[in-house]
Amino acid sequence: MTPRRPARPTNRLSRRQFFLRSSALGVAGLSLPAWLTACGGDDDDASSDTGGAPATTAAGTSPATTPAGAGEGSLFFENWPAYIDPTEDGATGTVDRFTAATGIAMRYTEAYNDNTSYFATIQPVLGRGDTIEPDIIAPTSWMAGRLINLGWVDPLPLDQIPNAANLRPDLQMPAWDPTGEFSLPWQTGFAGIAYNLDVTGRELTSVEDLFDPEFAGKIGMNTEMRDTIGLILLGLGVDITTIATFDDAAAAFDKLEAAKSDGQIRSFHGNDYFDDLSTGNFAACVGWSGDVAQLQLDNPAVRFAFPEEGVTSWADTMVMPKGAANRDAAAAWMNFVYDPVEAAQITAWVQYVSPVDGVREELEKIDPDLANNPLVFPDEATLAKAKGFANLSDEVEAEFDAAFSRIVGA
Amino acid sequence: MTSPQYDTARRRPELVGLGTLLAAGALLVAVGARWVSGPLVPLALAIVLASIVVLVVAAVAGGPEIRRRLAPYGLLKPGMLWLALFYLAPLVTLLKQSLSTLPSRFAVEAEFDWNLDNYRDAFSDFGPQFTRAFLYAGVATVLTIAIGYPLAYVIAFRGGRYRNLLLGLVVIPFFTSYLIRTIAWQSLLADSGPVVGALDTLQLSNVLEAVNIMDNGRLVNTPAAVIGGLTYNFLPFMALPIYVSLEKVDPRLVDAAKDLYSTSTAAFRKVVVPLSLPGVFAGTLLTFIPAAGDFVNAAYLGSPQTTMIGNSIQDQFLVQNNTPLASAMSFVLMAIITVFVLIYSRFFGTEDLA
Repeated sequence: MTPRRPARPTNRLSRRQFFLRSSALGVAGLSLPAWLTACGGDDDDASSDTGGAPATTAAGTSPATTPAGAGEGSLFFENWPAYIDPTEDGATGTVDRFTAATGIAMRYTEAYNDNTSYFATIQPVLGRGDTIEPDIIAPTSWMAGRLINLGWVDPLPLDQIPNAANLRPDLQMPAWDPTGEFSLPWQTGFAGIAYNLDVTGRELTSVEDLFDPEFAGKIGMNTEMRDTIGLILLGLGVDITTIATFDDAAAAFDKLEAAKSDGQIRSFHGNDYFDDLSTGNFAACVGWSGDVAQLQLDNPAVRFAFPEEGVTSWADTMVMPKGAANRDAAAAWMNFVYDPVEAAQITAWVQYVSPVDGVREELEKIDPDLANNPLVFPDEATLAKAKGFANLSDEVEAEFDAAFSRIVGA
Repeated sequence: MTSPQYDTARRRPELVGLGTLLAAGALLVAVGARWVSGPLVPLALAIVLASIVVLVVAAVAGGPEIRRRLAPYGLLKPGMLWLALFYLAPLVTLLKQSLSTLPSRFAVEAEFDWNLDNYRDAFSDFGPQFTRAFLYAGVATVLTIAIGYPLAYVIAFRGGRYRNLLLGLVVIPFFTSYLIRTIAWQSLLADSGPVVGALDTLQLSNVLEAVNIMDNGRLVNTPAAVIGGLTYNFLPFMALPIYVSLEKVDPRLVDAAKDLYSTSTAAFRKVVVPLSLPGVFAGTLLTFIPAAGDFVNAAYLGSPQTTMIGNSIQDQFLVQNNTPLASAMSFVLMAIITVFVLIYSRFFGTEDLA
């Protein structure tokens, strides 16, 4: 098995190109989903070639490969950018290994930029009882909970996913999916401060650094409400695991609003912050641990700060939208990525916290350094500082969303 | 002397023409706005078709006098029906949507219940965005005139045989997608990009900071960048109409003015400018109206403090999925623009435009 992560010089160019491309398309996707919704996900096609994994599998990897888009027997997974190991530099990515192992053709796209805007594109379709094209989508846990409550997802055929037994114990029967039959986590991780050392000129250690007037107009804030508000609340010393009413979090909204009107915030971003951070448009922003680990390979000045006040932890899940056409193929995929050997390959590249038990042992074999990275295998001290945002009731969530979209949403 | 019967008979063709026109238009609006559905749709379309047939039959069967009287209605019909289906019907749908309420948070279909709160919210929650939209669009329009007028003047009067080439050069950048060009500006104006680098080297950034064009070392994500983007993107819509009206100006008029002891400046001011005003007027409409509703420039070149009403409408329509509020905002925007245009055309007049 080839370790993929170490920054071999040949790796650098391709990774940089990959990030620049994917972030540029992410930006383009920001305002486009709207027009494109009507066209039934043309934007997905645009992102399919940013993905590490090509939509159609490499010729010759498997004689049993059916052409992509063949409908029955092929699989369509819509995920976030930079979230899987691609086929490059002589290494075979997970998608291609899956196709080689099972003979199932797969289309893998990176249409997610943030949960809210993705939800907006599927809501009119699923809300009318129609089906969307992807067989698997990757909402964050709270959004998975919303989809489950709305009845817009199908239960997973868990009997066909024996490897689901490898799910980390702390993620079994989670609050968003109390019966555990609708979702399997894809990756979990932390939202903290991503910053560019060349611009800041100093190490960032605190949430307060985001509000340092020195960085006026050079701060990015995430459009994921729970990550941005959660981080600000942690900075204010509020326990985000017990938030129950809007008043509990009002101070963070006020602080964000003030930062916006003071011109502290340059822009609100989804998963498309790579470019701004790497080029120095952002001094710092609310970023995700694994993204930063990968960006760092290109630009060593990009850092991830684990603020002393704590970080928010989150989980992105795999769910099957209602009426998904390829249930068996989806089950085969989930079973495949829940094999610790395969999961370790993904972890080696994405550097998030894997939801699969046994990954650490596998990773010891291919990348011992990473196996000891507290951001990938959090120790007690890290876990003590990582807080998940409380599960909000429907009415309270509506209040939070309305307040947040008033600040963010133009 | 004409008898009463003859009078009625003479009036009938107009009644037939007007009647079929209005009936067909109303039916198409009803179909387009989805007031009729299911088997009634083919029926309605059949009646529309029948009204056209009636008009044609009446024209063919009647004498030359009847044909003459029916002609205006026949000629109006294609345009009117097009407008009914593709302008009035969507407008009516939008109006109805703006008076509706979403029954629940994630509901797809809004329910029509004369909900005027949407209009109240559009004003109370998005006042700054409306103000910014008209401010930025206004400044950008003035800038396009300032840049576009000399440009068109030079091409029209000094272009010589290179006129068409120069015009082509104005238009060529616009063969590239609007979005791509705007994103390209984002890279050009980036903090570590070539423009800011050059300004720093030339020590000009302090000057620009002083006049509020730059802000803490950044050029992009400022109001200046948004206005600049609007100006750049809408320049041809100003330059081309001005060129068209300048090109029609006979240079001998200027010579005549000079023969009458006018200075060059006075000749330009009293002869060329008035004759080119229709172009400026058309260019202003073509620039100001779309610029006021634009959201691309503010999205890519702006910051959270420079969002325009177009961004808010886009966000409400496509991210928040709040179609009633978004529809109300669209209507308010349309109303304000209409008032602006009416006032503007009152002062500049449109009679020369045709």
